Amino acid sequence: MRRLPVYLLIDTSGSMRGEPIESVKVGLESMLSSLRQDPFALESVNISIITFDREVKQILPLTPLDELQLPEITTPESGPTHTGQALKLLCEQIDTEVRLSTPDQKGDWMPLLFLMTDGKPSDIQLYKEMIPEIKKRHFAGIIACAAGMSAKIEPLKELTDEVYSLDTVDSTAFKKFFKWVSDSIGVGNRSIGATDNLVLPPPPAEVNVIV
Amino acid sequence: MNREQRHIARRNAASKLHDAAEILENAMQSAGMARGEKERFLDWAVGTLWSQFKEERMNQRIVIENEVRQRGIRFPNGTVKKEYKVSFDLPVDKISDITLDGAEELGLTLKVESDGRCTLSGHPLKSGDYTLTLRYATVEGEPCSQLAIPVAFNPNPRDLWKNIPTDENIPYYKPDSATEYIKVEAGAEGKPRKDMIAASQRGRSHAQEGKARDDHFSLYHCDDSDWYIMAVADGAGSARYSRKGSEVACNTVTEHCKAMLLDNKEFENTLRDYVEDRDNQEKRAALTRNIHDILLKGAKKAHDKINEIAAAQEGLQPKDFATTLMFAICKKFEFGWFIASFWVGDGAMCLYDETTKTAKLLGVPDEGEFSGQTRFLTMPAIFRTSDVYNRLRMTIVPDFTALFLMSDGVSDPMFETDKNLNSYAKWEEFYHNLRAGFPADEIGGVDLTDDNEAAKDQLLGWLDFWSPGNHDDRTIAILY
Repeated sequence: MRRLPVYLLIDTSGSMRGEPIESVKVGLESMLSSLRQDPFALESVNISIITFDREVKQILPLTPLDELQLPEITTPESGPTHTGQALKLLCEQIDTEVRLSTPDQKGDWMPLLFLMTDGKPSDIQLYKEMIPEIKKRHFAGIIACAAGMSAKIEPLKELTDEVYSLDTVDSTAFKKFFKWVSDSIGVGNRSIGATDNLVLPPPPAEVNVIV
Repeated sequence: MNREQRHIARRNAASKLHDAAEILENAMQSAGMARGEKERFLDWAVGTLWSQFKEERMNQRIVIENEVRQRGIRFPNGTVKKEYKVSFDLPVDKISDITLDGAEELGLTLKVESDGRCTLSGHPLKSGDYTLTLRYATVEGEPCSQLAIPVAFNPNPRDLWKNIPTDENIPYYKPDSATEYIKVEAGAEGKPRKDMIAASQRGRSHAQEGKARDDHFSLYHCDDSDWYIMAVADGAGSARYSRKGSEVACNTVTEHCKAMLLDNKEFENTLRDYVEDRDNQEKRAALTRNIHDILLKGAKKAHDKINEIAAAQEGLQPKDFATTLMFAICKKFEFGWFIASFWVGDGAMCLYDETTKTAKLLGVPDEGEFSGQTRFLTMPAIFRTSDVYNRLRMTIVPDFTALFLMSDGVSDPMFETDKNLNSYAKWEEFYHNLRAGFPADEIGGVDLTDDNEAAKDQLLGWLDFWSPGNHDDRTIAILY
């Protein structure tokens, strides 16, 4: 069966500890229940979650939506934000997990990437090196979210044109953000197949568009 | 024991108790305890030991609870009304009175075997996220222990689809489904002749959002010349007016071929010449020129026509009308059936014959590395490279069972891979499924006997078959 791979890269650095990360979890939970009401998503969406702080971990390998159970998300006390390392792991996982069309198998849909961070890459060198690698991977859409006031927009703009920001990192903001993510995944599901860019639904008021 | 003996025993016991009290009394005295403190000491001693006893009992419970927790019992997600079964083990030598609160209301039953093997099974009644509570007794005197285990039941995707009719006021509106049957009645000699049938159904993913069908087909049989013309086009899902693109593509090529074939003695003579002397390069070239005029020019006309429509409207580009296209012209001659075709995009076009056990694809589907990537008739490059000649096919066969043209909405779920598209066994299976339907899903088959006009509605019904993840528009045209 053809899958729509969706990769969620989530910043779990020290500054996310406490309310922010708890809000992310609530947001993810509501995103899943909303996606489960979409018949097309239920049959095709596969989600993977990669968290990044000092360490980078794929806490959820690419898993079909109907089988998915949200794993524990933990945050260290403090430390650097290895966003570049996360992109590197993402590329590795894409190369092994995403299926391409061959005479014997039907390929997956082009994957979607959502990256959420509340800071800036500590490994900026690696981050910059990974950007062309990410572009080579043929994502149907890359959506970056700068959460909170100290999130840096500029590095994200190098990664994608679709950069959004959240003024606050509370549960209302994340809930709205992830609801919008699930709507975007729904759109991704339907509009893939054309050469055009993914047209995202308008974001809610809490999500600011960065031009 | 008689009465006398019982009396002696009681007296002995009383004397022993007296001795013990005396020993305790002496011990307390020699420890330096004042008379008034002895009772308080005894209260304290009993109280302390009792607490210790209770603590130990609680610790035992906690140890058991931890053991149960460490088994890491997790319930995988289920689907409403679909069989659900999960097994796990519990340390039944240490716990008892096991229940799973909340399971029954969800339509699930817990069975605990004597060896500790537990099975939770049933058919979930409703969808949603739930928490089941495992309750069990550990050490006597301790409160009942409990463990919350989350479980999620997905709705059945089939129950979630909506069928919202397309707004008839949108530009280039077209009905959500279409069918056609072209009955070609037996000739003077009474031999049945092949008929054409087609059906097109809007995909569930479009129906869910009230969006229009993007596929199109057209069929034509020329009673004068006996040529059969069939075309199927699949408008790109993301292109704004692809529904118009596919319509223009089908209609333009059909009209062009119709005009070209109505009275084309030159073409038919070239064809006969070629058939008589198939190794003759000149004759072959003459035939090829004719084929180019009919098929290639037809396709180019459709390409140009879409460009014209796009150019006539501000802000629109040909890619807003992006569509694939496959079409074929066929005629029965004294030497057999002649079939020529053109194909750009995905889907499948196949000449299927049960007698010779062959399934010949009339071209190569355009597919990329990822699903949904293809080429469109509307792409400028299509007619600019010599590649376009590879899109033409012509073939002569004594007879055949059916010629199929279908959009990828049908070929993807039915064949999945390129390899399968080239497998006769898969086409045989497909033909069987077409006629038998999918009884388990209450999808009826299509009765493809001669002159059966009812088959067109059967075919439309058949297009509603279920295939997870495949909910694109579906169109199929058959000459049989």
